[in-house]
Amino acid sequence: MAAFARAVEADPAAGVPPTYAAVYALWTTAPQLFGDAEAAVDFGRLVHAEQEFAWERHPEVGETVTARGTVAADIERRGARFITFETACTAAGGSPLCTSRALFVVRP
Amino acid sequence: MTKKVVFTREQVTAYAEASGDRNPIHLDEDFAKSVGLPRVIAHGMLQMGLLANLAVAAAGGDPRRVRRLGVRFAGMVEPGEEVEFGAERRTDGRLELWARKADGTPVLTKAFADLS
Repeated sequence: MAAFARAVEADPAAGVPPTYAAVYALWTTAPQLFGDAEAAVDFGRLVHAEQEFAWERHPEVGETVTARGTVAADIERRGARFITFETACTAAGGSPLCTSRALFVVRP
Repeated sequence: MTKKVVFTREQVTAYAEASGDRNPIHLDEDFAKSVGLPRVIAHGMLQMGLLANLAVAAAGGDPRRVRRLGVRFAGMVEPGEEVEFGAERRTDGRLELWARKADGTPVLTKAFADLS
């Protein structure tokens, strides 16, 4: 987390940077979608188009986070594929921490 | 509130290692060119991470007070390019955020943060 904070020019002592959610919410789950043969996502043409995070509570250093990813929408428009990928993160015990909504576009 | 950042290869590499996003379009010049890019590009999530600093600053330096953060990735940034990040509080309390290059090219649009 400290290395991440320094890479985004944030103060590691201030707490977990908000976009560290990229690590515990997004890159824990999205690679499973990209690697899924049935989902057939062409990674070479993939563009991360939008990203939104919402926090009920930010996780603290040392906490275990469980992330569960869901394809909320998968539509095709003018040859491009638009995948809305949502991830819900919970703390030990199941209380909500963070939700992530990513829009991935697979270019034609 | 605005802040200018010149992106560097070192920063992109450090972000790749710290975030775990080692997509070669951010790290390997030859690979980036092979997929039609002029050269390697910075991670969109690195742009968003730098933008988030303005939301944290507006929250008195406490990242826990950032309750919501959203962006649209509107433009690619190459190492060596300078990007201006900006934040302005709207009357409804929402923090409006943006990132753009010196010539006005948008980098992050439809960006916002809600603070508690």
